[in-house]
Amino acid sequence: MGPVELLHMSVFSQSFSPCGRFLAAGNNYGEIAVFSLSAALSPDASEASQKPILNFTAHDGPVFSLLSTDTHLLSAGNGEISAWSWAELIKKSTKAAWTRKPSYETSLEIPEINAMIINPKDNSLIVGGGDNNIHIMDMETGIFKSVLKGHTDYIHCLCFKEREEEILSGGEDGAVRIWDARTNRPVHCIEVFKYEECARPQFGKWISCLATDSDWMLCGGGPSLSLWHLRSMSPTSVFPLPGCQREAVFYQDLIMSVGEGPHVSHCLHGGTVKAQIPCTPSSLNTLALNLKNSEHRVMTVGGSSHQIDVFTNFSYRAFSLSF
Amino acid sequence: MWFNVCVCVCVCVCVYHFTDEVIRKRLLIDGDGAGDDRRINVLMKSFTKWCHSSFSPEEGFSQYQRMVTSLAQCEFSMGKTLLVYDMNLKEMENYEAIYADIEKSITSAHEKIAECKKEIQRAKRIRKNRQEYDALARVIKQHPDRHETLKQLEALDKELQQLSHIKENVEDKLELRKKQFHVLLTTIQELQQTLENDEKTDSDDTQESPMENGD
Repeated sequence: MGPVELLHMSVFSQSFSPCGRFLAAGNNYGEIAVFSLSAALSPDASEASQKPILNFTAHDGPVFSLLSTDTHLLSAGNGEISAWSWAELIKKSTKAAWTRKPSYETSLEIPEINAMIINPKDNSLIVGGGDNNIHIMDMETGIFKSVLKGHTDYIHCLCFKEREEEILSGGEDGAVRIWDARTNRPVHCIEVFKYEECARPQFGKWISCLATDSDWMLCGGGPSLSLWHLRSMSPTSVFPLPGCQREAVFYQDLIMSVGEGPHVSHCLHGGTVKAQIPCTPSSLNTLALNLKNSEHRVMTVGGSSHQIDVFTNFSYRAFSLSF
Repeated sequence: MWFNVCVCVCVCVCVYHFTDEVIRKRLLIDGDGAGDDRRINVLMKSFTKWCHSSFSPEEGFSQYQRMVTSLAQCEFSMGKTLLVYDMNLKEMENYEAIYADIEKSITSAHEKIAECKKEIQRAKRIRKNRQEYDALARVIKQHPDRHETLKQLEALDKELQQLSHIKENVEDKLELRKKQFHVLLTTIQELQQTLENDEKTDSDDTQESPMENGD
């Protein structure tokens, strides 16, 4: 990988292994790199431990989404979904367990897949991408059992509400649609850009990040990052962050979000921005929290750089892993 | 150059003699060991000398005095070392006690840390709940007060009732007038009919009477 390629690399997705000791990251060249967190976090870590233990080309196109189940790593690139067994990846074998493609209506161009989530209740994979539809695949049989249509432009992000079993999807058309996962019917449609307090017409109306925490929902993108109360369908707080946010998560009593700008923003539910922690990439695409393993409880962010910043204490950057 | 060599040889010889002197001197001075050890050695030597040699009574007595003082010094020094030994033992005990104390405070500090961590988690949850509550309260405040809206509704209700009352009254009056007019019109028509009928019977009567006369 030459220096020019490294310069132009963007990390689009990350996922932690089920044991919490490894991190997989996908970039715009279609490569997936697996890093060993236990080596990088150990007291005698060196330069070499910040390099991937395994780096392979998984897809022809950029890997926009990575997801870990209990045994496999699912990666989405070039319109197809591949599954890699984590046990095999740790042993440095790069053979995919399976590769499947949702049934697209147009066969001319292959729409990219932007987001994948798992519905743990009925063990299905929910996929949203460039063809404006949400495809639901049964994980055991591999059959794509249903398609949710409603968006008029491609889907950026997906989210799942466990308690009510609802799927939330945000797209380029500026609408956040809520679907019932059991009946596959649309329940609500919130057009965020129509609310004055959130809308930022200078950036557009697209929604690129969604997160839920029981009754509350975070959404942002073109419009400002805002916290919504889903029962009353009203925006309760709007966060005064200057750029467009690409990913946001709820963590304990904070909201962490990344987007344009070389920092991670820590915000409170009330609408105040508590802190902005600087990082190396000039703009960030993905944020991941490793909550499965209490020893390696870190936050990693990646964006338009070949380096992935690791935060052991969420208030400052500890070190960076690099592709 | 010959002079230099001579000087060097002289220096070497001098050093050799010098070191000899030094060694001799050191052996003489420190041959008995240092401090207490030396005192005991000197005492032993002088005691044996005193026993074996013949002194004049005054010399013997003075030697005896010297030995006794030397013995006293030795005893004094021994007392001192015993006290120091006791002190060391007590210090050791003290340190052990302090060590145990510190161990205890370390464990209690660990426990406190764990508790504080739990507290912080609780406090974070409480803060989150408060923030959510505040956010919702803000939204709710934007909507108008319920009492006011109820009052407005009541006022509107009353107005509505009044207006419907008025409407009823007006409708009743209209009905009444309609009926009255109807009555009036029917009477007029009947009167017209009676008048027409009368006219007809009048004209029939005049036609019939000439017919009767003609018979």
